Amino acid sequence: MRDLTANRRTALRLLGGAAGALAAPYNIRPRPAWAQSNTLNITTYDKFLPAEFLDKFQKDTGIQVNIRLTDDQGKQYNLLAAEGANPSTDMVTVAGHRYTQFISSDLLAPLDTDKIKNWKNLNPAYQNAPWTRVNDKLWGLPILAGYEGLAINTSYVKDPQSWDVMFDPQYKGMTSYIVSDFMTIAMKYLGYDGDFVTYVDKREEAQKATNAARDFLIKHKDMVRKYYDAGSEVQQMFLNEDIYLAHSWSGPAAKLIAEGHPIRLSVPKEGTFGFCYTLNIVNHAPNAENAYKLLDAILASPEVGASMTRQSGFASTISGVPELLTDLERAANSLPQEQVERIVFFSSVNRDMKNEMIDKATAEVKAA
Amino acid sequence: MRAYFSDIPRTLLAMGYWAFMLYLLVPLTLMMAMSFKDANFIAFPIGDLTLRWYSQVLHDKQFLEACLYTIAIAVATTFAATVIGVWIAMLIAQSGSRWSGILFALACLPAVVPGMISAISLRVFISTIDMPTGTGAIVLGHTVHAVPFVVVMALTRLRSMPPNLVDAARDLGADSIVAFFRVTLPYLGPAIAGGMIFCVLLSVDDFVRTFFLGGYRPTLPMLIFAKVQGGMSPEINAMATLVLIVTAAVGLYAEYMTRRSRSR
Amino acid sequence: MASIEAAQAELENGGPMPRYSTNISRIVNSRLYQLTLGAAVASRAGRLALLAAVPLLWLAFLHIGPIYQMAKISFLTSYPLQHGRPASYTLANYAIFFSESIYFMPLIRSFVFSLASTAITLIVVFPVAYYVAKIVRPDWRSKALLLLLVPFWAGELIRTFSVIMLLANRGALNFLLRDIGLIDRPIPMLYTSFSLGFGLIYLICLYMLLPLYSAIDKIPKHLLDAAADLGAGPFTRFRRIVLPLSRDGIVSGCSLVFLTCIGVFATPMLLGGPTNVMFPETISGFFHGASDKWPVGAAFALIMLVSALTTAGIFMRLVGGKATKLM
Repeated sequence: MRDLTANRRTALRLLGGAAGALAAPYNIRPRPAWAQSNTLNITTYDKFLPAEFLDKFQKDTGIQVNIRLTDDQGKQYNLLAAEGANPSTDMVTVAGHRYTQFISSDLLAPLDTDKIKNWKNLNPAYQNAPWTRVNDKLWGLPILAGYEGLAINTSYVKDPQSWDVMFDPQYKGMTSYIVSDFMTIAMKYLGYDGDFVTYVDKREEAQKATNAARDFLIKHKDMVRKYYDAGSEVQQMFLNEDIYLAHSWSGPAAKLIAEGHPIRLSVPKEGTFGFCYTLNIVNHAPNAENAYKLLDAILASPEVGASMTRQSGFASTISGVPELLTDLERAANSLPQEQVERIVFFSSVNRDMKNEMIDKATAEVKAA
Repeated sequence: MRAYFSDIPRTLLAMGYWAFMLYLLVPLTLMMAMSFKDANFIAFPIGDLTLRWYSQVLHDKQFLEACLYTIAIAVATTFAATVIGVWIAMLIAQSGSRWSGILFALACLPAVVPGMISAISLRVFISTIDMPTGTGAIVLGHTVHAVPFVVVMALTRLRSMPPNLVDAARDLGADSIVAFFRVTLPYLGPAIAGGMIFCVLLSVDDFVRTFFLGGYRPTLPMLIFAKVQGGMSPEINAMATLVLIVTAAVGLYAEYMTRRSRSR
Repeated sequence: MASIEAAQAELENGGPMPRYSTNISRIVNSRLYQLTLGAAVASRAGRLALLAAVPLLWLAFLHIGPIYQMAKISFLTSYPLQHGRPASYTLANYAIFFSESIYFMPLIRSFVFSLASTAITLIVVFPVAYYVAKIVRPDWRSKALLLLLVPFWAGELIRTFSVIMLLANRGALNFLLRDIGLIDRPIPMLYTSFSLGFGLIYLICLYMLLPLYSAIDKIPKHLLDAAADLGAGPFTRFRRIVLPLSRDGIVSGCSLVFLTCIGVFATPMLLGGPTNVMFPETISGFFHGASDKWPVGAAFALIMLVSALTTAGIFMRLVGGKATKLM
């Protein structure tokens, strides 16, 4: 019994026979639940679609809605990429910096605005925004708008006007940022084009600019307490006073402000980038028609937008939402006009070069 | 005199045990205390206290459903992984040294792969064999992840098993299967118990495989991760506290019942 | 059919059939058992098939299957495959690892960190396991073990956040130190190697505890008593009896902790600082990042897999025991 080698042939023969038996149940495949006609499968964040709204929508339309909760764009992207042409979800919520990635990987279907009766309820500023169009098509309904801001703890930091303060030795070990996002801002701070729009077909120039920002961040690595990834991390670091300063997406910081914490969010004079979360219909979605009905219902019900804002902290793009928010919730997302003008929306041009160079530089900063 | 000296390590060990307990329990106590905080984010100082998070969690149908679903998956995973893990360990233990190395590495493979990569590869794999996503796929994914832990536990105990035990049983005429169930399996008892605890914990803690392999019915970790995305709220602490209290109570009750049945 | 007749004949002759307790004998002597399993174990090939078929199938399908998919991806020039374009294969994804030190360093760091964590966990947990298995009164033993188990049910994420609440600048420990006047400004403990190690061991020490407990538990008490009677001091008893006899527990505990440590990514990384970037984070950077680098990520994952398993294999070969007859 001890030596298997003597009986390898027997074992292999057995293996072949039993393999067929093991695979047999999969040959008779039941109809998967997500492909049934009157359902709609959505991958989105917790509390983005309030229960009352969903109940009403299901009752009005007879569509059974299934929600898959997600916490992170990377997982969602990888799941869709792994599923390929047979997606198990009809709709996803995509964050601004991922928008073009999802599109170029063929994961989204273009939206036909004629099918959305309530399209007019979208804030006009977003109805024809240039960044929403890729290859002359619209790929998602903008639902939330945000920007990459400078968040400070007002008890310890006084009104900074520039990104300079992130590199001020006084706050050594008290700052935090998402490396890949802050890299583009560091490029802007150093006088380069952080969004790579002007670097089309200028690889060398782009690489030089990226390297400059990379070397600058490595040189000031001792300023950093932590490189973070998730909004909940930067919130917790502010609350625990592990950091006084951070580059933060407006949503997570706005949630702290709305709760009354001594945090302020601003756009420094060098400027920053803005982006939208979009609701998207997945390429090859089995229930695309139902998805259009949901998009329509969302635009008709400002309470959905309000719920999304409360949950995420980002500003809503849907008309009628601000009226449903409290003063504090509204104030958390408002900026002086001159700061609003410093926000440039991420473009959809030259993404491949940008992603490639920023990713590489990010790995180098982390490894340094 | 000797008794006196041998007491010293005994006291030291007792102190070590309690220090370790402190290490395990103090951070958790902080988390439990936070569940009473009257604010939307956890942080020190705790300030005003409230029970509203508990009432919210206990009225949350989604939370209760997620708990039951998580338990069902964990039970199925534990059963499957234990049977297969012990089986694999038996095979490895009896293979020649050349084979046992290869088989052992194969058996450990899923434990080393980072969660995200394991989840992606399982997702690609189940589409190539045309298996639908859902509860079955989740249990399969969790089982694959848990098997190495059972194998390692069972195998090391098998390797220290006195060889004469099984021989004796065979000499008495027991066939291989009877010898396995009457001699080897009881000897493996503690290792299997440990392995099963690992299976349950791994399954109950798994987030990323569940997300990739099914996910329209949230499990407890999926619910918690999704909630953390919107900020670390005391609601999550209340959930964790309830889970802890219930599992501790079940554990104590089970221990009490086993002791009572033994003393009878 | 011959074997059934033989079995029947044996039954009638009252041949070598053993007597078991009633339930087992009912099963073993039942016709169904005799026709199936009983017949199978009667021959060497049958025994082998019974032992090997299911494990080999499982390993081949479910352990190799998914990883095979990853391996295939790791040799592709691009993924997901575009329609109408044939897949082309390359080794370049592996070459990237060896040509750039920024990827090499995190792997080394991961190994050093995992090995150190494993060693520290062993040293910390061994006395605890020994205390519970050998010193606690038997009727309290399961309670002492239960108490150790409870914290692990809170889930990885909650336990990670609990470490944050303990070690943060405004965490419990800094508050305590300030209150008793030892410090006047908080010590930054979080987001350092210390907090990463503290949290990692906090998360995985159970994988050391249970194997050690199960190994120490079976050391016969009379051996220790006899050694003490012969005048062996606590240290000698530990070195000559406890340590060798708990070897299998040490081996499995260390393997489990090391393998888990190396593959672990998500939550413990919440505790590390800017200089603690580990290899799994590098790998997931390729999967998560904005550009689609699955093939490179897959190649890196395989590199990590092979090196981690080799390390664990060498360790087991060095310390592990020998095979014995079990069936």
